[in-house]
Amino acid sequence: MLQNYFKIAIRNIVRNKVYSAINIVGLAIGISACILIFLYVQDELSYESHFDKADRIVRIASEIKNEGQIDRFALSPPVLAPNLIQDFPELEHVTQLLEAQKQTIWYKEKSFNEDNLLYADSSFFDIFNYEFIAGDPGTALHEPNTIVISETMAQKYFGSVDKALGEVLTFNPDLYHVTGVFRDKGHSHIKANAFLARSTFDRQRQDVLTGTNHWFNMNRYTYVLLKDTSQIQPFQDKLKAFVATHVTPWIKENNLNASMTFILQPLSSIHFDTVYRDDITPAGNINYVYIFAAVAVFLLLIASINYMNLTTARSAKRAKEVGLRKVVGAYRSQIISQFMGESLLITLVSVLLALALVQIMIPMFNTFTGKQFESGFFLQKEVLLALLAIVVFIGVVASSYPAIFLSGFKPVDVLKTDKAPKGGNAILRKTLVVVQFAISLIMIIGTIVVFNQMHFLKNRDLGFNKEQVLVIEIPFGDSTLIQQIPGIKHELLSNPNIEQVSNAQDIPAESLNNLLVFAEKDGKTLQNSMNVMFVDYDFIDAMGIELKEGRNYSKDYQTDLKGALVINEAAARKMEWQEPIGKRLELLDRDAKVIGVVKDFNVKSLHTNIEPIILALVLESPGYLLMRIKPQNMASTISFIENKWRSHYPKHPMEYFFMDEFFDKQYRAEEKMLTIFGYFAGLTIFIACLGLFGLASFTAEQRTKEIGIRKVLGSSVSGIVILLSMNFALLVLISIVLAIPIAWYGMNKWLQDFAYRVELSWWIFAVAGLGAMVIALLTISYQALKAAIADPVRALRSE
Amino acid sequence: MNKEELIIETENLQKKYITDTVETTALAGVDLKIKKGEFVAIMGPSGCGKSTLLNILGMLDSPSSGAFRFLGQDISKATERQRAKLRKENLGFVFQSFNLIDELTVEENIALPLAYLGVSKADTEKKAREAMERMGIAHRRNHFPQQLSGGQQQRAAIARATVSNPSLILADEPTGNLDSVHGREVMSLLSELNEAGTTVVMVTHSPSDAEYAHRIVNLFDGQIVTENLNVRRHATELL
Ligand SMILES: Nc1ncnc2c1ncn2[C@@H]1O[C@H](COP(=O)(O)OP(=O)(O)OP(=O)(O)O)[C@@H](O)[C@H]1O
Ligand SMILES: [Mg+2]
Repeated sequence: MLQNYFKIAIRNIVRNKVYSAINIVGLAIGISACILIFLYVQDELSYESHFDKADRIVRIASEIKNEGQIDRFALSPPVLAPNLIQDFPELEHVTQLLEAQKQTIWYKEKSFNEDNLLYADSSFFDIFNYEFIAGDPGTALHEPNTIVISETMAQKYFGSVDKALGEVLTFNPDLYHVTGVFRDKGHSHIKANAFLARSTFDRQRQDVLTGTNHWFNMNRYTYVLLKDTSQIQPFQDKLKAFVATHVTPWIKENNLNASMTFILQPLSSIHFDTVYRDDITPAGNINYVYIFAAVAVFLLLIASINYMNLTTARSAKRAKEVGLRKVVGAYRSQIISQFMGESLLITLVSVLLALALVQIMIPMFNTFTGKQFESGFFLQKEVLLALLAIVVFIGVVASSYPAIFLSGFKPVDVLKTDKAPKGGNAILRKTLVVVQFAISLIMIIGTIVVFNQMHFLKNRDLGFNKEQVLVIEIPFGDSTLIQQIPGIKHELLSNPNIEQVSNAQDIPAESLNNLLVFAEKDGKTLQNSMNVMFVDYDFIDAMGIELKEGRNYSKDYQTDLKGALVINEAAARKMEWQEPIGKRLELLDRDAKVIGVVKDFNVKSLHTNIEPIILALVLESPGYLLMRIKPQNMASTISFIENKWRSHYPKHPMEYFFMDEFFDKQYRAEEKMLTIFGYFAGLTIFIACLGLFGLASFTAEQRTKEIGIRKVLGSSVSGIVILLSMNFALLVLISIVLAIPIAWYGMNKWLQDFAYRVELSWWIFAVAGLGAMVIALLTISYQALKAAIADPVRALRSE
Repeated sequence: MNKEELIIETENLQKKYITDTVETTALAGVDLKIKKGEFVAIMGPSGCGKSTLLNILGMLDSPSSGAFRFLGQDISKATERQRAKLRKENLGFVFQSFNLIDELTVEENIALPLAYLGVSKADTEKKAREAMERMGIAHRRNHFPQQLSGGQQQRAAIARATVSNPSLILADEPTGNLDSVHGREVMSLLSELNEAGTTVVMVTHSPSDAEYAHRIVNLFDGQIVTENLNVRRHATELL
């Protein structure tokens, strides 16, 4: 029996090449998209899963409420750790991480600028079980001046992992002994090239803040390992009392007008938690994962709809077979399983084709997602299971409707020579076509809106000029570097293509220092936390930031260094100063007067509003060297800069980037969404049109006789094309009407993520709708035209 | 008449079709008894309900009211599945338009009923071959239906109807699409089967085909108007 089904299935596939091709190609595209997105989503969701104790690890984030304003930090104060250990015996381990500055590291003649360096203590590895290839995680960071490096870093400096242990890396002015090498694997919000023993830091920097009981000193990431997952909630509850006994008295003592809360973040939720600022790595947006997954499911749905529609539309051809099988005694269930088997076969062929497609697309997919999927990926258990699920889904779900429909034929009805059933339920089929086109349209509208918004983001006036600014990093940790800054600035300015040079510790799109300030207000002193950028005399001019009132820093005033500050308009608003110039502002060791107010500018991505900022003067500092250069002869300008750099800093590699690209990197997630939306919108409309093409050909076939008669009666070719196209055009029209509100709602919601956004103007919807209509009509008209120009006499005789 | 011998027995069989507002009475109370081994022809003008009756007898359709017993078993209340089972075990169908499955070869078409009966592969091959030989189409076994003449297709259809040795063959105008030579061929095949013991019920418009039957039932407006014994057939048999 199976053999019999199989034969029929194969013969049907071969005999109806066009329909089979539409089904198989459509499904294959849908399935391959699903596989790719599945890989992507699985990868995105795999954060922290490689840590054995992941479910028992939580991070403690902080919330500071200050006059109605809430600041949420991924960070917490250093003083938190010892107090936790003292108060909570249920905590198996408590550890704190501290970010180290980017700096140059030497090994003999080799040097690199290293980022992602974290201070940690050895209990860190008791919580996070990094896989050590060399060294002992239990003792690796016990001693000061020890370092545990990644496999990649070991390769880079020592050529191999084996040679790393015991070697010495030089960070000016310290020496660090390599005591461990860990394997790079899995995704974690903790992105580290190396862990440095925190005892080193503590010994070096017994500075004011770290040493004392300062609870608002946010610079550590605090992780705890609980003995049991069930303790998470009780622990969270107990932290209230903890704050009351430790933090509140301290706040009173210091006359601060603020309150503090500690919040637990389960490790697995950290990557997608966008609420907290200053995280080690920027949080991912879980919505994008949902959007991508939805897109893949939609694509598969559209392909499955094609399958359902073409199968039922053409059911008249199978009706006789069904009737006959029943006449000779087939049970309905047997017929259902026959048709399901047939679609399983088609699905299977599609899956094979899809796997081939995925193989071809993997490199391209890797480039635009920035991931590294390998071509042998589908041998993974999860992927195979997912594939099986897809096969069953289409083979069973998509085929059940045609199977149930076809198996319901009564032999009495279908075996009458003159009364074959009309291909299935036309209303259902039309509904499905509407669904397909509505989905395609939503994707198209989405693509246009995202594209628009991206264009807007990249071209909006930020209040500073991000174009033509070349930025060189000046690594921390080497004081000799700083001494050279005035010299190199001077020499760079001798090149006429370099218009301005500035040295700053902070630049836009980098995380900023959030510091406590004490501001004068109506004779009282108010405490506030504010973003501070440390910059030199030339920064405001070089960045093209406009001065609104007062003056810029000037070398003519000796007092500017400690006694003056420049703020932006938002900062003045925050302090509620009508006349900010001359107001007193205390910051760190400065007791200053406001000397200037600059116009607001965006230091962060346009997801967020303008923030209050203090531009504090520093003379020479590590961080960045910013140059505004002319667009002419850029290559020679850059090589000039490189030469100057080398002559001043022969031992430090020069690393540079352009401000505009750096700033726009903040929209990487959106950029990715745009690419995926773009491709997938194209694919959905393509598959939907494949289906439409099949249906149009079916309709034309079905109406051959009618068309013949109309032609004999004198109808023109165009009249017939219009006749055949009208029905489909109406369906597309309905889908436009349906899609617009949904797309409007969805994209409006998406745009809410941005503080600055484009309007959803009507033309976007008009263009998308018109586009879909034109594409659909072109698809149909091919079939319609073919039918319309066919010889009417032949058409009539064939009946 | 001895009840044991009846293969089919209907009482006041009615069939009404209700389409939109129009109600058509296709059968208006048919009482029909058919004995095992009989060859019955059903005749009557077009639209009088012949096919409707045959379909009900073949359990492809159910009556609106009335009783229908097949081999003494009441099947007016049988489920679809039970009827399918009775069908595959006892019945063979022959249609005017042959109704072979286009995607299957002659042999595969003929073997189809055996597949649904769950007959083993070896037995299937043997029985299909016998049926084809009996109908003289063995040399066309690997052809597809469209590659055969009408007469050959109908012989294949009869081979399919008889491959499982059914006790009853229902034929709806089996010669309707054939020329007279092929028509006569099909009729003699049917009467051979009948002589071998199979009950045959055949709908026909052709008086000459009806000659092959023992008994002719005349339908008019959904009712049996006359039932004639075929004198000639009986006469020949008596000889
Ligand atoms: N599915 C149906 N729906 C409605 N009416 C039907 C249906 N099938 C048959 N009829 C009606 O029932 C009556 C009997 O039809 P039937 O097919 O049994 O006639 P017939 O005697 O076989 O005619 P013919 O010799 O033309 O084949 C006719 O009036 C026909 O129109
Ligand atoms: Mg009839």
